[in-house]
Amino acid sequence: MLEVTVDKFIFRVPESLLFSDAGIWVVVEGSRARLGLSDFAQQVNGDIAFANVEPAGTEIDVGDEFGSIETVKVNLGLPSPVKGKIIEVNPLLQEAPEAINQDPYGRGWMVVMELRDWEKDKGALLDSSHYLERVKELADAELKK
Amino acid sequence: MPELPKRKVGLVSCSGEEMAEGTVTRLATLKVLETLRPEETVTICLPLFLAGGEGDRAFARFYPTIAIDGCEKRCAARGTEMYSSKPAAGIVVSELCPAGAEEQGTARRLNEAGMKAVNAVAEEIALHVDRLLGAPWDQSRGESAGDDPAAQVKAPGVATCSCGSGIPVKTLEIGGRQVEVLALPLIFDMFRQAAKPAVDETAAEMIETVRLYNRIPEGEEALWKLALGREYASYCAEVR
Amino acid sequence: MTRKALIVPCSGIGKTYGSVAREGAYIVTEDLCPKSSRLVPLALVVLGDEEVQQTLAGSPAIAIDGCKLACAAKVVAGAGGTVAHAIQVLDVYRRHRDLKPAGIAELNEAGQELAKALADEVSGLVDGIAAEETNA
Repeated sequence: MLEVTVDKFIFRVPESLLFSDAGIWVVVEGSRARLGLSDFAQQVNGDIAFANVEPAGTEIDVGDEFGSIETVKVNLGLPSPVKGKIIEVNPLLQEAPEAINQDPYGRGWMVVMELRDWEKDKGALLDSSHYLERVKELADAELKK
Repeated sequence: MPELPKRKVGLVSCSGEEMAEGTVTRLATLKVLETLRPEETVTICLPLFLAGGEGDRAFARFYPTIAIDGCEKRCAARGTEMYSSKPAAGIVVSELCPAGAEEQGTARRLNEAGMKAVNAVAEEIALHVDRLLGAPWDQSRGESAGDDPAAQVKAPGVATCSCGSGIPVKTLEIGGRQVEVLALPLIFDMFRQAAKPAVDETAAEMIETVRLYNRIPEGEEALWKLALGREYASYCAEVR
Repeated sequence: MTRKALIVPCSGIGKTYGSVAREGAYIVTEDLCPKSSRLVPLALVVLGDEEVQQTLAGSPAIAIDGCKLACAAKVVAGAGGTVAHAIQVLDVYRRHRDLKPAGIAELNEAGQELAKALADEVSGLVDGIAAEETNA
């Protein structure tokens, strides 16, 4: 697990995951991928009051919103970094969306997608060390606001 | 280029709900955080701190903190010392503004005198922030480093783990002693990326950066420069 | 003598939810249930204030937390108190989605209304405790 500390905030980035610039993590499981929100993204947006995802069966293109979160700070659409079909959604998101805050890389996963074009899509994703650098830049910028 | 962590001051407010002074501490602290010194301060949430917030406790171990308390019970000061390190400064509203709760309004709603107390306390906090950021900080003693040449700056255990506080350390032999120098790996990397050669002039420049995070005892500057120059030369040879 | 319900808010300074918890606690203990509830500062619980410790040992507590970190509930339980109810502002907000709070030093109007909704829920719990006390 990689970590960076900015002020009193510790942001964690698992080495096994890939990330979009928008803070969506991706882990490939065969022909499928599991997606969720990064630790940095959940911390910066605040306590999640509501989380919604598109239902299973929905076809998603790169850039389409596969879901959204609502906090007191933001209503944030979540753009998918991969093309595919949603085949599973996390049932916890309805009753306990705080799982995304508490365990963003574990219990807080959001959707599983059947991948359509992984060889093309993976090229745009960041590995953990590059995403860590990005988190540092974004965190410093956030603190200056 | 790696960025060195910016020095900041953590503000720990009691926010005591039972008395007007507690509300004064809360509002004064927020005024400093949001308006007077937004880039120099960080809030340490006392409930989270007391309940075990790792980020807040790690921050308070490494950076100077100011405890702002409403009354002599000094919950913020005692809590900070109990779970982290002694605050660098403490303010007690009932001592600073001894007007009394009745004159400041209620805990729920401050009156005009209460709002004046907020401004006075906020200014006092800001003065402490300025003073603390202007002086080197001794983490081991939890106070500004004085002029005692025997005093050693020793990093707390958490600072040795870059995963704990984000501040890596390197141990150097300086004047026959083993000294932990905070942030040195980052400083070396920063200088190397700026293509600074391993020469005396670089060591002289480097020591000014090292000084921001470490106390250099009086009379030891030459020893530190020598050690930094030597280690930096080794570091550059290794990464080539 | 009938025991009062102890109201322990988190009052966190970092989020608007902390301000809602604080304001809600005041509404309960000063307006809605002044005879059957008492506000207890969280820090005094942790730091072992003798009077608070004795009170905590003898009375049921309602912890009002801003968020899921649940600092007040954890601290009260850790100090040996009985957390009769743990309520979180985040959950109250989920039941009143139109009342989006903002501000920490000063709550916006929606935040004030959310604090009232929170207080209504908590006062119901206080009444429940009082009824149990009466029947005991």
